[in-house]
Amino acid sequence: MTDQVRYELSKALTLAGIILYIPANFLPVMTITITGQVESLTVMGGVMELYDTGLVPVAAVVFLASVVVPVVKLVSLSWLLGLHGSDIAASRRMNVHGFLIRIGTWAMIDIFLLSILVAVGQLGILASVQAEAGALFFGAMIICTLYAADIYKTHMIWQQPLPKSQ
Amino acid sequence: MVAAWAFAMAALITLVPANMNPILIFSVAGNYQENLIITGVEGLWMQGFQPLGALVFFSAILAPVIYLLSVSYVCACWTLQRRLPFLGVAFRLAEALEPWNLLPVFAIACIVSVVKLRTLGTVNWEPGSLWVLATAVLTMIAVQCFDRKCAELYVEGSK
Repeated sequence: MTDQVRYELSKALTLAGIILYIPANFLPVMTITITGQVESLTVMGGVMELYDTGLVPVAAVVFLASVVVPVVKLVSLSWLLGLHGSDIAASRRMNVHGFLIRIGTWAMIDIFLLSILVAVGQLGILASVQAEAGALFFGAMIICTLYAADIYKTHMIWQQPLPKSQ
Repeated sequence: MVAAWAFAMAALITLVPANMNPILIFSVAGNYQENLIITGVEGLWMQGFQPLGALVFFSAILAPVIYLLSVSYVCACWTLQRRLPFLGVAFRLAEALEPWNLLPVFAIACIVSVVKLRTLGTVNWEPGSLWVLATAVLTMIAVQCFDRKCAELYVEGSK
């Protein structure tokens, strides 16, 4: 894969991530039914519920991992790719890129959480947890941002723009 | 590199009980359910979310195994100073799967899920979750010990 292809692919994946971000956050990720009470939760709804039960540290972890991390990733990826080929803040961009790769996977916590809850919630009428469409968008968004950050290599930050062909 | 080998092997060993033992048991009104890592994959699959099931299967079960195997293989070659076949393949696999090394995230998700379920019914920790935690910690140490540059030089020298 040439660097130009990597750059284009990374741009495409970031754009896809931004688009997927919207349904991922507005559609419910799961429906919980406990003794007849039905409740649909979005990603943010899950965090609010944890917060309401008084478990602030746990709510904070989930909030960081599944709300803050995706936004930070999408914004900084756009910033990195927007400045591609220029020499503005190149060393800072390198640090940001390293940071992105390190935090990238934490958004998966929501998918794993869903998987554990779905497994547990199979007690028929008493308790059931049903995955919803939002989770699909959320998973797709994570994969897009993971690959967008992974495919864009650090050395590409230092590259000069290619001379424009006439 | 020797340390990375040791920790990767240890993580591989703890990975077996982590997958064989239930992580937690959840009960409501006398009915209970045991829960393994794979149960979640099954659940998602059966609810019609096959892509998500596959994603969880890949990132929580398959990727850690392949990643740890290839890291141990590369480290073993380096330690024994013997260029065994498929050294390059193993190194590239380890490189490619590094971002998919999601067991620490899974371990945290276990903790959060227990907290979340406590409001809904009775949750009991099971030894499986401790094994998951142990695997996660050992994997993180192995990643820290794994000298990427050193391995790369060694692998490329074999061409």
